[in-house]
Amino acid sequence: MEIIKVKQLNKSFGDNHVLKDISFAVNKGDVMAIIGSSGSGKSTLLRCLIDLEKADSGDIIMEGKPLLKDGVYPSPPEIRAIIMKMGMVFQHFNLFPHLTVRQNLELAPKVVKKEETGVMNKRCETYLHKVGLLERIDAMPSTLSGGEKQRVAIARALMMNPDILLFDEPTSALDPELTGEVLSVMQSLANEHMTMVVVTHEMSFAREVANKVVFMDSGTILEEGSPEDIFIHPRQKRTQEFLSSILRDQKKKIKKQYRLKKYC
Amino acid sequence: MSDFYSYLANITVPMLQGMVITLSVFAVTIVCSIPLGFIFTLMVRSRLKPVRSFAKGYIYVVRGTPLLLQIMFVYFGLPLLPVVGDYLIFGRFTAACIAFCMNYAAYFAEIFRGGLLAIDKGQYEAAKVLGLTKIETMIRVVIPQMIRVCLPAVSNETITLVKDTALVTVIGVAEILHYAKTAVNRDGDTFAFLVAAALYLLINFVITMVFKKLETKYEF
Repeated sequence: MEIIKVKQLNKSFGDNHVLKDISFAVNKGDVMAIIGSSGSGKSTLLRCLIDLEKADSGDIIMEGKPLLKDGVYPSPPEIRAIIMKMGMVFQHFNLFPHLTVRQNLELAPKVVKKEETGVMNKRCETYLHKVGLLERIDAMPSTLSGGEKQRVAIARALMMNPDILLFDEPTSALDPELTGEVLSVMQSLANEHMTMVVVTHEMSFAREVANKVVFMDSGTILEEGSPEDIFIHPRQKRTQEFLSSILRDQKKKIKKQYRLKKYC
Repeated sequence: MSDFYSYLANITVPMLQGMVITLSVFAVTIVCSIPLGFIFTLMVRSRLKPVRSFAKGYIYVVRGTPLLLQIMFVYFGLPLLPVVGDYLIFGRFTAACIAFCMNYAAYFAEIFRGGLLAIDKGQYEAAKVLGLTKIETMIRVVIPQMIRVCLPAVSNETITLVKDTALVTVIGVAEILHYAKTAVNRDGDTFAFLVAAALYLLINFVITMVFKKLETKYEF
């Protein structure tokens, strides 16, 4: 069943045409990874799906309901009802710094859904346990590490019981040794068949966790398919170039680490 | 020595009466100008151009003219306006409060605007994707963070306000300095000014302490 359907989506920032006739579909339970070099429009595409950016034309259908139909948006309450079925995890976490971890998780259920305190507390603890941070429940975000912040952000998104989770480069702002803990939480969500759309530079995640990979280049979807299609048998020359340049970078990083170790 | 104490008591008692007036002007101004200032902040950020222009113009005029002049304008000037003037005759104390509220609202508006600029746009986005409405986002997410950012500047402004209340003598409101001046002129001894200074310092000591407490409370 198609849970997200995007057709002929276009978006410009002034003269800069960032999304050009984008079309794709995501089925329930899919994990779709969007890869591509910076400036290719991946983040903008993701942000259009949850109405953080307004597209210029095209269709976005979420669970059968139109978020955008022929370039026209529905009324604000209708938009809100649709995006409340989705959760989003940001590159820079965007936790509320003035609230504790628990308050971060419970703010939206309390204010938006008027959920009963007992039930909400219970769910809050369940999700924090799931991301392995139950013992930090009363901590302020400023005292958490980057990886912990991102796991709290994931738990916060889960509190609204979303049908779809969107991730905008969830590990790009983290130290390399902290990406693992976030990726393993995402992996466990994938195992539970959460529908996810993930913009990422983590090729290993795209390869091992995603069941669908989309390669974007200068505002278009150049290639899409299963991880094997994209990583092992890329058809487009641009895809091959991108993948080999990423691979080269990773090798360089490993070399650098080695060098540092030698001199420290 | 007992002469000194009786003189001190003699000049301090009326000054304490003056202090009640000073504190009243202060309290009314704080209570009214902070919400009013925040409304001006929202107006400056409004999508409607006339609203924006009005708020910007207001802030420009109020910040660009002396407070002393504004006090005199409210008390002496407003009643002289054609047509509406008859309805704008205020008592001394009321006129002083109106002038102070209008003046401080403009300054607070700018302080709050600065506070809002300091809030990351990611906070608005996070609140939006969690389903919070604009008003809920404002109350639950934006304002608490804005308060933290603004507290030092608001504290600064509040201390200035205590000292500025001395200006109301110009329309004959009897506050601390008014009684101090009376004593100095009567006795030919400037000691009363020292007492007045001590009273202002006392008020500002309390205010400084309160803001210190508030800053710890809003720390994150």
